[in-house]
Amino acid sequence: MAGEGRPRRLPLWLFWSLVTIVMWGTWGLVSKIASDGVDAYTNQLLFTVGILPLLIFVAWKVKRAAAGEKREGRGRGVFWAFLTGILGGVGNMAYFQAMVKGGKASVVTPVTALFPMVTVLLALVFLKERLGRVQWIGLGLAFVAIYLLNA
Amino acid sequence: MVWLWFAVLALVLWGITGVTQKLSTNRISSERSFLWFCWAMVVLSAAVIVVARPHWGLGTTVVVCSVAGGALNGLGAWTSFRALESGGKASIVISLISLFPLLTVGLAVALLHERLTWMQGAGAVVAIVAAILLSLEPGVVKAKA
Repeated sequence: MAGEGRPRRLPLWLFWSLVTIVMWGTWGLVSKIASDGVDAYTNQLLFTVGILPLLIFVAWKVKRAAAGEKREGRGRGVFWAFLTGILGGVGNMAYFQAMVKGGKASVVTPVTALFPMVTVLLALVFLKERLGRVQWIGLGLAFVAIYLLNA
Repeated sequence: MVWLWFAVLALVLWGITGVTQKLSTNRISSERSFLWFCWAMVVLSAAVIVVARPHWGLGTTVVVCSVAGGALNGLGAWTSFRALESGGKASIVISLISLFPLLTVGLAVALLHERLTWMQGAGAVVAIVAAILLSLEPGVVKAKA
């Protein structure tokens, strides 16, 4: 954690958060550029090629940490992670197809960034999580945003 | 407006992953979860090769951008986990990284010369605010894609 030993100007969590913004923000741009010359299926293949170095790195880290990890519930955890990847990958193809079909990066990305509204609704129904007032406001604004973006 | 249906499909599928990811990370580490997320991408791509007919005659720019898309998306997911594991509060980290569409909008306007109507501009801002508010609940930690 940042701050241990000597003080840091930028906390580590903030640094990684900003890097995330740059990574995902740029992803929207390169996706739009790529959508001018490739279909969603081929893009998914190339997308996976791009993720492979990270897969190897994470596999190495997981193997190193495997000894100290609990085994209970691992099968189910892996199942849900795998399902997350399949749904995420199909979602990627739909996102890319939206750009292939003429959607602007500056509109498609904010629309799809509203995906927490679905998560929140599903968590409400299936995980029995409760919504705070702020989330209800967010949910309402999400519908307003979709209307405005498509007006 | 066909693009909108695909965008909504992506929104719904990614929304479901918010729940499945939580169900996964409740049982295994975020890194093992991410590893299997990546393996699923590999399996999905293998299915794409079998079922669809990928188009191979591609320009260099397209190939570089598509591969970079995967790398950027994957690294973004990984750095978001790093942010959460580095002591950042989930409510702050997730709200902060929900701002990433602002960068896409800025880059698209500046580099791709996209033009937004004032309604779309307002919609983009409202969408980002909505995404932040929806992400304030720390119960559901999600990774993009």
